[in-house]
Amino acid sequence: MAELNEKNAKSVQVFGATLTRRQVVQSGGALLVGFGMAGSGVWSKAARAAVPENTLDPSLPGSWIEIHPDNTILIRTGKSDFGQGTTYTAYRQIVAEELNARFEAITTVVMGDTDRTPDGSGAFDFLGRGTPNIRKAAAYTYQALLDLASKRLGVPKDRLAAKDGVVSGGGKRMSYGELVKGQQLQLTIPVSGDLTSPMGLTVTGNPPMKGVSDYTIIGKSHRNSVIASKVAAREQWATDVRLPGMLHARMVHPKTLGSTLVSAGAVDKKRFPNAQVVVKGNLVGVVAPTEWEAIRAAEQVAGATKWSDWKGLPGDGNLLDHLRKADWTTTAVTKSDKARGDVAPALAGAAKKLSATYEFPFLKHAPIGPTMALADARPDGTVHIYTHNQNPQALRGEIAKMLGAPIDQIVVRTFSGAGHYGRSNGGNAGAEDEAVLLSKAVGRPVRVQWMRPEDFQWSTQSPAAIADIEIGLDAKGKMVAYQVDHYMPAMQDDRPVGAILAGLPTMAAPNEKGDFIGSTVNGLSDPWIYDGVAVLAERGHGTFQIGQKESPLAIGLRDHSMRTPGQFQQNYPRELAVSEAAALAGADAIQFRIDHATEDRAIGVLKAVRDASKWQTRSSPIASPVSTGDKPARGRGVSVMFRSGTYWACVCEIAVTPATGVIQVERYTIAVDPGIVVNPMQLRRQVQGGAVMGISHALLEEAKFDESGITARDWRTYPILTMADIPEIQVVLLHKPEVGSYGGGSEAANALAAPAIAAALFDATGKVARRLPLKPAYVQALLKA
Amino acid sequence: MATILVNGVRREVQAPADTPLLYVLRNDLELSGPQFGCGLAQCGACSVLLDGKEIRSCITPLSAAGNKEITTLEGLPARWAQQKGLSAANAAKTLHPVQQAWIEEQTPLCGFCQNGMMIKATELLERTATPTVAEIKEAFTTSGPSPHLCRCGSYAAILDAVQRAGALMAKGGK
Repeated sequence: MAELNEKNAKSVQVFGATLTRRQVVQSGGALLVGFGMAGSGVWSKAARAAVPENTLDPSLPGSWIEIHPDNTILIRTGKSDFGQGTTYTAYRQIVAEELNARFEAITTVVMGDTDRTPDGSGAFDFLGRGTPNIRKAAAYTYQALLDLASKRLGVPKDRLAAKDGVVSGGGKRMSYGELVKGQQLQLTIPVSGDLTSPMGLTVTGNPPMKGVSDYTIIGKSHRNSVIASKVAAREQWATDVRLPGMLHARMVHPKTLGSTLVSAGAVDKKRFPNAQVVVKGNLVGVVAPTEWEAIRAAEQVAGATKWSDWKGLPGDGNLLDHLRKADWTTTAVTKSDKARGDVAPALAGAAKKLSATYEFPFLKHAPIGPTMALADARPDGTVHIYTHNQNPQALRGEIAKMLGAPIDQIVVRTFSGAGHYGRSNGGNAGAEDEAVLLSKAVGRPVRVQWMRPEDFQWSTQSPAAIADIEIGLDAKGKMVAYQVDHYMPAMQDDRPVGAILAGLPTMAAPNEKGDFIGSTVNGLSDPWIYDGVAVLAERGHGTFQIGQKESPLAIGLRDHSMRTPGQFQQNYPRELAVSEAAALAGADAIQFRIDHATEDRAIGVLKAVRDASKWQTRSSPIASPVSTGDKPARGRGVSVMFRSGTYWACVCEIAVTPATGVIQVERYTIAVDPGIVVNPMQLRRQVQGGAVMGISHALLEEAKFDESGITARDWRTYPILTMADIPEIQVVLLHKPEVGSYGGGSEAANALAAPAIAAALFDATGKVARRLPLKPAYVQALLKA
Repeated sequence: MATILVNGVRREVQAPADTPLLYVLRNDLELSGPQFGCGLAQCGACSVLLDGKEIRSCITPLSAAGNKEITTLEGLPARWAQQKGLSAANAAKTLHPVQQAWIEEQTPLCGFCQNGMMIKATELLERTATPTVAEIKEAFTTSGPSPHLCRCGSYAAILDAVQRAGALMAKGGK
């Protein structure tokens, strides 16, 4: 997430959960990196303890990296894998590189368990713009290893160096395994931040780090070890975790996003003798020993449960009007730090002007597996949660807040699961809190599995947005002024929905006074790259989530960041508008961008995508645009973005059939400059996946809603792209070691397609579609008009 | 009580006859390959082979299994070993070429849908040894109750992997 950075981290609330002092490590606090001996470390004891100690307890010797006497290495990170593979590939490569050990020596990755991983935070910005926590931890560890070797070998540290896990110098050598054997070395490294805040802890200080020119492991296509485990059916997924005495549960969620409980139905004991209803406020769940009985009994109970009616949402047909009339005045307006010049006279004096509004719909994260969690509320007061979560430490804070319990009593264990693209990066995906409440109520472990319709209705969505853009061109067709006003409801609602329904404490709903996570502020997330434009005004306007204040449940349309959050909503209008401006100037859309950009890497990525796609320089639309008939018209469009240290550009070539409005993306070319490419194979797969998701967003996706809630219920009412509709995809990776750091690779690609496809539609037909998605009915009507 | 044939072994299960096979496989037999994705036969995450044909276990009742042979992701190596007449010792060390190709091509992202993708690929390649890209797309999109959906967008990787698996199978899995 663009807004989540170190600077902001210190101001983040810890959700008001009760923290014992040792969990909050203030700036200058200490964290131990230890070299434990296999089997004898405190870690294994911690895993057995009824209440596992916190990983930051100074009495524990190991936290980030363990080097074992047999020369194997274990790493721990609070970050969880969501399909990016980073913790299994890039993190191993980075640690092995800094330690001067072999990639294969890192045999174990412990990830995302609150009681046995050192840092927190979500599965975003994995690579930390070149310096993730684990890299610094490894760099500190390497220095400690050299110190130890110097003492053991009697050779000055500056004459020692390591390769493949063996230190040598002064004619002597010793492996890391031999060095640590029988030793209990403790190393203190500085950290700051709050463990259970959305940003987690940050390793600070400036340990010496390896020079890029010395890299031998970073840059290679090492395989992702968890892939083999999943493919061979050896992986334990969150969906596989079972506990003795566990009950299965299904929720009976309210009829609408604002309905309150009138009366809960009873279980028909003749049909479902082992099922039981649990009611707490507006939270209704049904538990049973078998999953099928839980499913059928919940259906029966749902039919007998009465809810109040609620019609407090505008309905998707009135979304634009609703957003126009919303109150944007109570939330502070954000302004670009690149703002310059006086925009009104610059626009007034322009030779040509573009003035347009762009509309972005609500989207669903739509994980392929609906959210689920298993919770075990034990008699000793501890609560253990087994799930798939992007920010387990933050979830822990939220559960502690809900229960009014000390945070020490909450343990979250993370397992593989269906990716959900940002939905739980602030801690909550859904179901976790409900599993906890049901487990507490029945005194046994309870596994809550949301069904497909519930995942569409009760999860958060990526917020809708509109943007008003004005661009002024001079007589020569140069952009002289650019103004944008972005409007978007709050994007980060981390309140657990079960806690809300049960009437239990949660963090506040996003509001104008909220800190940056729980705020209605609409930050500017799309870094400006056209520095050749003399006058610039970018503003972000925020407001409350739609229906949240009106809903008696305080729910309504809850929003959450989704892959390329905020930036997608802002880059789509910008890039489509810039393509339109290029057309207005009679200029080629790529050359127009190059002419207004000043950063070498932005220009480089545009030139790379131009070459790779065999783009022909000309203006848009094509010489004879076609907007009628049943023969496909063809066009091409481009978009560009800078995100998390990486420059991206894509070209989409489409065929549109005017009579039907059906768009087929035929070729998709994408160029990526992350600086250093850590793992080409993994990055390529991430980019391909993002490209496909982006085409899906652009052509198909919209979370439709009526006055009561989301009307999407399944994959027919929320279709996503199928294999039949993927284009030929070409990925161009630009490895730029001179940049000196590595940017992110798992986001951005999903956002690039929409403006490029819309520009391609314009190129082919001469008509501009400024609303997403580009569904056949919309395109057909647009072309007829 | 019902007896079903899963991955070459007869298993007795206590579940009611109308229980969807998915819950029997996951909960009673503790198999982790098939996943719950939609419960509506709309995504393919729960796919298994029933006498070699891909079905959606989330809507197939236990009673429909009868004496038919159920093959899950766990059973693909043994299925391949049997088809190739490998010894038990060799079979235990073998992955199905589809699985091998999935690893070599680094196909899964989150991987939650990939059970169904590999089951579908196996069904396809047992019938069509060297499918064209169009045939692969047809298999994964229109041949079954619904398209096989991947939210992470791994379709391009699947195309690569199916072709590699076909080549591996043609070479006898080596």
